[in-house]
Amino acid sequence: MSASGRTSRAAAPLARRRFLAGVASGAAALAAGGCARGDSTSAQPGTTSLSNDNATWDEGYRSAGRELKKITGYALRPLSNPSVTSYQQVVQMTMQTSKAADLVKWASGYQLKRLARAGGLTDLTDVWERYEAKGWVRGASRETVSYRGKAYGVPIYESYYVLFYSKPVFKRLGLSAPADWAQLLHCAEVLKRNKITPFLASQVGGWPAIEWFQELVTKVDPHFYQKLTTGAASYTDAPARRAMDIWHDFMRKGWMTSPDFDQARGPGALKEGTLGMFLHGTWQASGMAAAGMEPDVDYGAFILPTVRPSTQKSVIAESGVFVVPSHASSHEAAMANAGAWLTPSVQRKWSDFLQDSSANPTVRSSNPVVARLQQDIAREHRLPLIRYWEAGPPSLIQGNTNDLGGFMAGQTSPATTLRRMQERAHDEWAAWRRDEA
Amino acid sequence: MSTPTTDRRAPAVGAGPSAPTDGARRPPATHAWRGRRERLTAGAFMAPSVVLVALFLLAPFVWTVHRSFFSDTRTTPFSWFDNYALFASDPALSRSVQNTLMWVVGTVVLPFVLGLAIACMTDAGRFSRLARLCVVLPYALSGSAVAVVWNFMLTADGAVNQVLTGLNLDSLAHGWLLTWPGNTVVMILANAWQATGVAVILFLVGLQSIPPETLEAGALDGAGSWQRFRHIVLPQLRPVSIIVIGMSLVNGLKSFDLIWVLTQGGPGRATETLAVSMYNETFLELRPGAGAAIAVVLTVIVLAASWLYLRRQLDVKGV
Repeated sequence: MSASGRTSRAAAPLARRRFLAGVASGAAALAAGGCARGDSTSAQPGTTSLSNDNATWDEGYRSAGRELKKITGYALRPLSNPSVTSYQQVVQMTMQTSKAADLVKWASGYQLKRLARAGGLTDLTDVWERYEAKGWVRGASRETVSYRGKAYGVPIYESYYVLFYSKPVFKRLGLSAPADWAQLLHCAEVLKRNKITPFLASQVGGWPAIEWFQELVTKVDPHFYQKLTTGAASYTDAPARRAMDIWHDFMRKGWMTSPDFDQARGPGALKEGTLGMFLHGTWQASGMAAAGMEPDVDYGAFILPTVRPSTQKSVIAESGVFVVPSHASSHEAAMANAGAWLTPSVQRKWSDFLQDSSANPTVRSSNPVVARLQQDIAREHRLPLIRYWEAGPPSLIQGNTNDLGGFMAGQTSPATTLRRMQERAHDEWAAWRRDEA
Repeated sequence: MSTPTTDRRAPAVGAGPSAPTDGARRPPATHAWRGRRERLTAGAFMAPSVVLVALFLLAPFVWTVHRSFFSDTRTTPFSWFDNYALFASDPALSRSVQNTLMWVVGTVVLPFVLGLAIACMTDAGRFSRLARLCVVLPYALSGSAVAVVWNFMLTADGAVNQVLTGLNLDSLAHGWLLTWPGNTVVMILANAWQATGVAVILFLVGLQSIPPETLEAGALDGAGSWQRFRHIVLPQLRPVSIIVIGMSLVNGLKSFDLIWVLTQGGPGRATETLAVSMYNETFLELRPGAGAAIAVVLTVIVLAASWLYLRRQLDVKGV
């Protein structure tokens, strides 16, 4: 072996080692970078970060944030995670760190109570009371954002569960928005005769399975619903059985879409004229606009009539909330923005974007369909009721939602479904109360 | 690495410290030091892997086992085997076990049979490359993408029902993803559509490694094509078959992505497998104790199935 050969043999391992060392240190640097805490929620001058589970709302937040900046000096910087399941996990994990987002969008009711119970949320009672004094918030919704007497959330919006309907289709068939139960049934019959599916009902994504259940129970007996959602009534009681029988009857008559119909296709189906009515939150108005439908021209909306004329009128209300984590990166800025969110000028921008009802009752929706619903709710003194999704311990609601999905797919009868829901309610309410004791 | 170390160390130990040594033999102290150094070097090389496995695999597993013995109430008291008792009392979990068994059978049998058949048919054919490409292509897609495509086909107003309606076969059109066990069966078929590709590749490799002389000898002895396949090809594909079945077995037990995107385990909880139930209980129903118990049971089943299967197969092979 020549000297040059030895030299080259000796040099090769050295070069290889250097190369390997370089690769290893590069990998280590990347790994360290990957493991390091992200800076997306770090404090950035003039902004507050906002964790959000609906990426299509980012522009609305930015628009409202520009108004907020004029008042507080801080704009909104939305950070979106569109998967609701992973969003909830990420939020709950980051709440425990020192880099929590400044504002976090969360659900009200028991979803919020569970988060508050785990600790890590800022008490917003003072903020709430200031809003209440100015009349910028509905006092009735305070309970839905409170835990043990303290308010932990500021409402982001207030949506109502209504039936959107296709105005051109109704006009062509000589129908109008039904004012009572008999008219509703007539509309469904006429639509079905004309090969149009009267109602959208879906269990795609899980939670939509609650929509018809909550709607029918509240239209059979709203006070029973109130008791049911506090664990004081049984799912096997007469009003719940009546509601499920109505639902079952609608399904048997072919009045409902197949349960695997994706709600995201709802606006398109209304526009095409293959669907008559779409039960959903009024926040769907922005989806209607995205499908190219004009309010009052292409679609209208009404609240489901009560089954009996004498039953008190009610409406299911849904309100997402902003919470402020104790470890928010810019806590002071977050509190300033939470305290100014419901200012009318900010809400004007936000409501215009969302095409929905503002949580501030002094701000009238610019969408004429939603504005008319707001008027109807006030005029009829409709009893506001919390959406079922937020109306009980999360484990109970999730389990019962699964059962309702099974019922929609024809797996279980109304009686079996209600029995299972009641068995779970018995266990979960007991567990919740035990934990609260 | 250990064998030479032992070989070198043995004479030194036998010779003893006072034994006379020849010129080539090193002093015992040097041997001992060298042995220690080699052990340390070996340990240093192994350490990163051991630490990573311990940190990211074993420690979470131990924690999961520990968590499975605690209840899911706020104070999480020790609850013995209550979470495991859910398998007997919760109908959703019983259904999940049934579905998992269906998935295991479906994901083992279908890719094996279809993979073998397609590999044999396309091994030497005119359009074999094109046919192979068509079968193998879905394997390159992610499970989620496959699920999105099948969702488009299987919903009540999807492509399959539209085709059936177009052919005046309305009576056959129904909600494919809505009723059990049909929904689980169609998802297994969708999975087989994707998973058969890798079985085909493996069987093709196996087929190409079979010496043609053995087939020619069989033909000269008068064996027909089925006899040649049964008695010459199939036995020589045994190592590949072991791999295909082993992989399919584990894939069947851990099937998640396709189900999650297509049905999220629904309607109700009718299409859950144990992997989906584990996710559902932990993250949606917020019962990490129950989720941990399912994870432990699933791990035990996967390990037991793999070990039993591989041990038997490797024993037969004489390895």
